[in-house]
Amino acid sequence: MSTTGATARIAQAAPRNAVGLRATSESRLAGVAPSTNRLAAVLQVVAALTWIPQAGLIAYAIGNIAEGVGADAALLPALGILLLGVSRTLLDRAGTRLVFDAARIKLGVLRRHAALAIAGQSPMDASRLPSGQVASALAEQAEAVVPWLARYRPLRIKAAAVPLVILATVLSLSWAAAIVLLVAAPLIPIFMALVGWRAKEASERQLVRIGDMNAFLLDRLRGLATIRALGAVNRTALRLRDDANALGRSTMEVLRIAFLSSAILELFAALGVAMVAVYVGFHLLGELNFGAWAGTLSLAEGLFILLLAPAFFEPLRDLSSVWHDRAAGEAGLAALERLARVTQPIVGGLEDVGTKAHRPDDALSVAIEELVFRYQGSAEPVFTGFNLAVQPGEHLAIMAPSGCGKSTLLALLAGLAPSAAGAIRLGGEPLNGATAARLRTRIAWLGQQPHVFSGTLAGNVALGRPDIDHRAVYRAMTVAHINGLAQRRGPSLIGENGAGLSGGETLRLALARAAAGEGTALILADEPTAHLDADTAAEVTDRLLEIAAGRTLIVATHDPVLAARMDRVITLPGHPNSEAKS
Amino acid sequence: MTSLRHLGPILKLFWNGDRRVLGYGAALSLTTALAGIALLGLSGWFITATGIAGATLATALAFDVFMPSAGIRLLALGRTASRYGERLTTHEATLRVLARLRERIFRGWALPQATHRLAVQPSRLLFRLTLDIDALDTLYLRVLVPLLAAAGSALVIAVALAFVDIWLALAVGATLLSTGFVLPLVVARRSTASARRRAHALEVLRGRGINLVRGQADLAMTNRLGAQVRAIEEADVQLAAADIELNRAEANVSVGFGIVGAALLAGVVLAVARLAESGQIGAPAATFAVLLTLAGLEPFAALRRGAVEFGRTLLAAQRLGPSLAATPCRHRENFLHTSGTAVNVARVELRFAGTASSAVTGLSFHVADGERVALVGPSGAGKSTLLGLIAGELAPTSGSVAARPSTLMTQRTELFGDTLAGNLALARPEATEPEMLDALASAGLGEFITDLPGGLGTMLGEGGAGLSSGQARRLALARLFLRNAHIWLLDEPTEGLDGATALDVLHRTMERALGKTVLVATHCRREASIADRILVLREGRIVEDAPRHSIAFDRILSELRPD
Repeated sequence: MSTTGATARIAQAAPRNAVGLRATSESRLAGVAPSTNRLAAVLQVVAALTWIPQAGLIAYAIGNIAEGVGADAALLPALGILLLGVSRTLLDRAGTRLVFDAARIKLGVLRRHAALAIAGQSPMDASRLPSGQVASALAEQAEAVVPWLARYRPLRIKAAAVPLVILATVLSLSWAAAIVLLVAAPLIPIFMALVGWRAKEASERQLVRIGDMNAFLLDRLRGLATIRALGAVNRTALRLRDDANALGRSTMEVLRIAFLSSAILELFAALGVAMVAVYVGFHLLGELNFGAWAGTLSLAEGLFILLLAPAFFEPLRDLSSVWHDRAAGEAGLAALERLARVTQPIVGGLEDVGTKAHRPDDALSVAIEELVFRYQGSAEPVFTGFNLAVQPGEHLAIMAPSGCGKSTLLALLAGLAPSAAGAIRLGGEPLNGATAARLRTRIAWLGQQPHVFSGTLAGNVALGRPDIDHRAVYRAMTVAHINGLAQRRGPSLIGENGAGLSGGETLRLALARAAAGEGTALILADEPTAHLDADTAAEVTDRLLEIAAGRTLIVATHDPVLAARMDRVITLPGHPNSEAKS
Repeated sequence: MTSLRHLGPILKLFWNGDRRVLGYGAALSLTTALAGIALLGLSGWFITATGIAGATLATALAFDVFMPSAGIRLLALGRTASRYGERLTTHEATLRVLARLRERIFRGWALPQATHRLAVQPSRLLFRLTLDIDALDTLYLRVLVPLLAAAGSALVIAVALAFVDIWLALAVGATLLSTGFVLPLVVARRSTASARRRAHALEVLRGRGINLVRGQADLAMTNRLGAQVRAIEEADVQLAAADIELNRAEANVSVGFGIVGAALLAGVVLAVARLAESGQIGAPAATFAVLLTLAGLEPFAALRRGAVEFGRTLLAAQRLGPSLAATPCRHRENFLHTSGTAVNVARVELRFAGTASSAVTGLSFHVADGERVALVGPSGAGKSTLLGLIAGELAPTSGSVAARPSTLMTQRTELFGDTLAGNLALARPEATEPEMLDALASAGLGEFITDLPGGLGTMLGEGGAGLSSGQARRLALARLFLRNAHIWLLDEPTEGLDGATALDVLHRTMERALGKTVLVATHCRREASIADRILVLREGRIVEDAPRHSIAFDRILSELRPD
């Protein structure tokens, strides 16, 4: 009964040693043991079928009343009705629990695979989805998988099994009543299919339209500053209402058709029950003398058939009410599976899990031999047989026009993108799948747009690295000159995407992040002074050089002032490639 | 349940809206439920009555079969029709409420304080807003309508049973109502905390997903990618725990209904057997009573999901309530009317709530009509804040700001998913087509618009998607040109544009700015060089005020970014 048990099972289903795992298609599709789902389905079907004996007892008790048998004769049937009712409830609950937990575990597994795939996809891959889409597929869209698996699927099994058993039970008493049900039932799927094609399309369109209404609101909210500046708040609000109302009217047009399918289902279900009732009534009056195997039905038998008739249609009605769960669930699953596809992986595992091995502080040499790289789907390679040697402790500036592959080169050196051919050696050690994660722990990275995580400034410097304590954070902040900022901010949180931090402050934060790493032997910096004013650029350059003292530094830059302060400047060969990012 | 009061503004919104349609929907829903109950009850009575009448030939011939059998068929058809009508009406009512809700939410967020809050955490707040709106969508369909249908049918069943036996009616009615309402209410109350945890875990999961994508390189290079994946898993485990709690809550309502339903059924069977034995009722009435009870619990089953989702609805109501209840406040009224002065700022200080230091402090200056002023200084020095103060978007904590009517061009180009004309009309709704084309031509989009097959009617994507950043900026500029404001406040107007485009945009702006007062917040030399005067801000204070042709002016210019 406890929820903690189920949570623990789910926690176990997400093993702690996720590191370095890659999502394979088999493991992604292998859900939870199918036997659980089978057991759950059996429990739910059995629960639904307990209605048959319960209805039998109700009919029997009323038959007794009609025959004038004493009230004591109703005791046992009443007890049976109670016990059957309770056991039906408990069986159904057990089945629902099983299937829900299985579906939830499956969602956890799907999410984990998607997260691993996102983490293992090269950040240089242009086909990567934007973060908003990824987050929405991973979070709210994925939620739809559970109702689909936990509600729609079991109901589909129920709709296939329960009506058959009820039909057989009715048939054992009266072939005529069975025929009434049999005629009404297949007509339902036929009509449903006829209307359903349109209804499904219509309901999907409706979903899209409701989505449009939200999109309109969000679009306007994102530009609120402008709407206010133009004095257009009232007009936009009225427009929003008018559009929403127009959308509502057109949605209603669509819904009129969509609801027809369920109306038809209702109609046949209701008519089926009514016809059974009328047939049984006339039969009992003696006006319809056919249909029963043993001459005439008794009152109890007639009532029994009447009570079974609605239960015959019920699973079909339930199924139609969760129809949209399937579309949403399938869409959610498809979105997760799209996330789990890795086209261009990063080199090596996600994390260096080796024991804290001896990490020498000495600077790393860099050697690039006959490097070849091209972007996915691009014919023109960015590098063909590129060579470069950097001495340990050397400071190198790479200059080139936009699109010549400066950023790509840095990413290749960090193993963030795989090269097509050639070799990269850091400190004499080849960069490959086995070494990349460990080598990365010796490289500090200053990207073009350092990401600011929501949290405190100190948390953004440490990034949860276990070997960096608050003293190391303080030292790093001092070196990067963000102590003043940290004092002003205190423990307050930084806004989304570093809202409230200036470009220079963000860059100094990234410098502190780089300075905090103990074993750093190589620093890769991508246009650290772009978009900064002259003062700030000069300051950032000073800080960078201070941190890079005694370490190898490779800077990709346009900035002649920064380049002039390096030991050596090289210009990349090759033509600007429009598909490459700079 | 004190949190129920948060529903106030939402229910008021419903009530003030289309209460007629809302009422029809609920009434039809009740009709459907009653038709279903009546169908079963009448059928049972009919079969039992015919069974007894059929026992002897004489009674069989005398039995009026027409009325009951016609009634059964009528109920079957009527139920279908009413169900169809119910679904149409309730959905129509919901859609109307949604339209009103979205309008109100927009107005709520359009208040200055809210706008500022939104600017700090746009994606988190907008995500939350979407989920909250969705949660409120279900309030009418999943909670209010089923509640009414269930209550109504329980009452009607009690009344119908009163014809059989008054004590039976009271007992069944009381059981139906008490279980039907108390159980979902208890569960709704208990699941509120889970719903809250669930909403929180989903936000955390989403945030960590965004961090994984945006910060992937930073995480990879600090050996933290695996840790981030584990953090996402942990968020999912939290989410799963809340999911499971909510699932158990829903299951508990089902179990409660199931057990009470079984007990009620058994009890009614015993009761009617006693009543029949004592001759108070006949078998048909007994069947009628049993079947009515059987059908009576069904409408309550619809409350099951509503009960669990109610917790989420309450949370949404609590978050959205303030913005729905907010009354629109007017723009600042202290416009300057004296000629000669465009802006007058006196001893202004502004401190944002929750921050330790002032954003701007000790600001005093005045800008003459037609003057062009550049505001320079490092990011965070208070340039945008100052523009906000002059525009009346921000109120000073102390001191006074007076200015002639102004319009602000934001740093980030903000366009909307609408036609080109719609985007332009935001600035001046009465603008004619030639005026719009003229503004576009002045902004350098003349050729662009003549080449467009759709012309001014061309649709843009969300946020103006489909335009290059240069085109988008020019469109924003055309919008500025259409606006009849005396002061133009430009926040880094050419940021992110390449050199040639930037110079062209700047040049065109100045051409149209004849007779206007212009304040431009900037980092770069080309933007500042158009000014008659440069104000240098540092940490929220004006540290220099240099007129053109002064040594200081040239020095400040030379220190700015050259591109």
